[in-house]
Amino acid sequence: MTPWKEIVGLPFACRGEDADAIGGARPGVVVRPGSVDEVQAVVRAAAARGAVIAPSGLGAHLGIGAPPRRLDVLLRLDRLDRVVDHQPADMTVTVQAGCPLARLQETLAAASQWLPLDPPLPERTTVGGLVAANLSGPLRASQGTVRDLLLGLRLVGADGALVSTGGRVVKNVAGYDLSKLHTGALGTLGVLVEATFKVRPCPAREAALVVACRTPADAGDTALALRDAWPVLWLEAAGAGGLADGPGDGAAAIAGVGGIAAEVDAGRARLEAIVAARGLRAAFVDDGAALRARLARFDVEPAAAVLRAAVLPADVGTTMATIESAARAAGAAVRCLAHAASGVVRVAVADAAAVAALVDVLRPGVERRGGALVVTRMQPGVDVEPWGTTGPAHALMRGVKTALDPAGILAPGRHVGGI
Amino acid sequence: MPLADRLRALVGPDGVVDRPEALGVYDCDGYTLERASPELVVLPRTPDQVSQVLRLLAAERIPFVPRGAGTGLSGGTLPVGAPVMVCTSRLQQIESIDVANRRIVVQAGVVNAWVTRAVSKHGLLYAPDPSSQPACTIGGNVAENSGGPHTLKYGVTTNHALGVELVLPSGDVVQLGGAVEEQTGYDLVGVAVGSEGTLGIVTRATLRLVAAPEGVRTLLAVFESVEAASEAVSGIIGAGMVPAALELMDRPIIAAVEAAFHAGLPTDAGAVLLVELDGPAAGLDPQAAEVARVCREHGVREVRVARDEAERQALWKCRKRAFGAVGRLAPNYCTQDGVVPRTRVPEILRTIAATAARHDLTIANVFHAGDGNIHPIILFDERDADQVRRVLAAGREILEACVALGGSVTGEHGIGVEKIAQMPLLFGPDDLLAMTRIRAVFDPEQRANPHKVFPDAKVCVEARAPRRQVPL
Repeated sequence: MTPWKEIVGLPFACRGEDADAIGGARPGVVVRPGSVDEVQAVVRAAAARGAVIAPSGLGAHLGIGAPPRRLDVLLRLDRLDRVVDHQPADMTVTVQAGCPLARLQETLAAASQWLPLDPPLPERTTVGGLVAANLSGPLRASQGTVRDLLLGLRLVGADGALVSTGGRVVKNVAGYDLSKLHTGALGTLGVLVEATFKVRPCPAREAALVVACRTPADAGDTALALRDAWPVLWLEAAGAGGLADGPGDGAAAIAGVGGIAAEVDAGRARLEAIVAARGLRAAFVDDGAALRARLARFDVEPAAAVLRAAVLPADVGTTMATIESAARAAGAAVRCLAHAASGVVRVAVADAAAVAALVDVLRPGVERRGGALVVTRMQPGVDVEPWGTTGPAHALMRGVKTALDPAGILAPGRHVGGI
Repeated sequence: MPLADRLRALVGPDGVVDRPEALGVYDCDGYTLERASPELVVLPRTPDQVSQVLRLLAAERIPFVPRGAGTGLSGGTLPVGAPVMVCTSRLQQIESIDVANRRIVVQAGVVNAWVTRAVSKHGLLYAPDPSSQPACTIGGNVAENSGGPHTLKYGVTTNHALGVELVLPSGDVVQLGGAVEEQTGYDLVGVAVGSEGTLGIVTRATLRLVAAPEGVRTLLAVFESVEAASEAVSGIIGAGMVPAALELMDRPIIAAVEAAFHAGLPTDAGAVLLVELDGPAAGLDPQAAEVARVCREHGVREVRVARDEAERQALWKCRKRAFGAVGRLAPNYCTQDGVVPRTRVPEILRTIAATAARHDLTIANVFHAGDGNIHPIILFDERDADQVRRVLAAGREILEACVALGGSVTGEHGIGVEKIAQMPLLFGPDDLLAMTRIRAVFDPEQRANPHKVFPDAKVCVEARAPRRQVPL
């Protein structure tokens, strides 16, 4: 417990339990710093001892990535949970890394604004986790991902130095945009302690249209037809059974429409015309936000594993069809739900025994087309390499890791190719 | 064999410029306060030739400076300590257009405006639209992370560049990112975009295209004072609207563009706001009414709405060619680029006015008010050495004021050589160390665009009398 309890105080340094493990790696100690100074002191102490650190928030998304090769200190940032500065008229917000996304959204909602990122479990998703794991949800179709909304970061580097990236204004091209490097880096390049985002006005109304489709391929195509007909707020495509209680049990395209009432009405009319022209049926959903939140939860619903195939938008339908037929051949049950405009197909696999074989069958085809197949969640007992083949830039990525964390104390092994 | 001949063997006899009288064209970009000629300029025709050229330079350990169309405004292409300039302007192929996936792959020398032109028949466009878009190239846009008026709603280059092909200083070619949106591993595209040529040379880019909006409303709001106009900007943003563009022009700019283009702008007004709303037609009239209401709250004299595309284009011509029109006001001008939080625009405008008075200078303002991205244009006469000194001092003071208000020293023009001295205002030693460590991963010998961006890289460049600028 020395020196951790001296740094953060006795109640905030505890022996690691099984529940604190990342993958199979159980931390020796869980440390909960109460200030940025304490984060720096913990990192310095770890660096001095060669102890391996992994940052975490509330632990909801720690299954993403590979387990660290070793884990001495789990650095839990949940005590750094303040909304530091929200300037509604500037449409920016600065928030500490441990603040839950749901709480941040409440603060913003008071000014009719939101940070338009909607991963599952917003109550248990911290801002630091949001950035470090590059989490997103259906809204990415129109609002982009973390990289499009993040203006700046403060983080503690592997040597304990406090480093700032970017700034607090909505436009800024001074120096390298290192905020992007830390986005999705899973804490392998630094411990995030604060983030500044641009925020946007909430749409006055949000509705949705659920279109029953004949096949997964049809769902992908229909989704893009909807995208071409209207600037949709979000856009999902479901394979057979992808939508747990959708129309029938078949495939579907689901489009969210946002804006003032006149825009929502016009969007609905335009989308329904597309649906009719394709000879399909559609159900209008008044509370689009609630449906969207339900679709976002897909990633964390009970499953042996959740795969994530990144492909081109036009390949979403055929990718879902390929996955479903591969699953049938393997006798496995899968459900597919895609962020159709972004080309991100999520696959929930029910049977633990089938996961590795499915990944082996599907991954080469996806990678050949310039995409990736990543396993974002797996039950204990499922043993599969989560990342897949390293891409052509891997040597540079390894160089970046070595440049910022030469001793390899920041969650080594978490990222692609053992970085 | 001399270097020039070895380069000619790679790129052809017309691909190398080394006659002193021909090199003068390359001694500065849009930032003209400092000059330096390269010893020779290489103009490869293909991405592969760029790689071969850099491989040769690597073998000889020769530093180089990349250049696109040379429209940059921070001296990023000034050849300082780099004898060889590598121009990507001949890499002009639009390689593929993918309508279904809304992607386009272009070579670095493709001009910004060509991209939208190539896809407009499909109802698509390329969103970043710097004022120099008829001339500036995608390679330069990627290097500078260029913006433009419509980035308020649509974002800047980094939000639209999905992948880049980067030729490392070693000559090795690496593909970063690609057409698939979600990529595994560190976001090196995000690092390469805006790296100002210090990591290598971008030869190709995969860009995201967006759907052209169904409708557009362009409004011109006329105010008695700059203060009232900038308060109205805060009011429009505060009302929960995100216009496609929100641009402010002050009285000196109005006078200059009116003299140049005769668009019927009120030359007695204190300022005008150019407000563009786009999106579904159903939402445009209510939003336009709301903008007009907010403007009335702030004492607007008059709100004009462009009745057709021709009127809209006339208004945008005034805005986008404002810099050129400034040539009528003074023999020379220097455009600054700073950012403040949007709500601090009135304050920074007061600071600019006070700075102008203190240094006995005229400063005109035309800028992206919705983003808080100011572009004070400092007018001067290069023949007056004392005035040149005051111009530089005023520019520095304005940027320092931006930082003091919580902003940045550059919103879209880059650091280049111009703002190296201001980097420590924004970043501490540990912040800069992180950046230079990343640089060393790509360019361990610091041969790619040396002496740019980072303070310790600054060498003494003699500030020479600037040449006269001609209106665009």
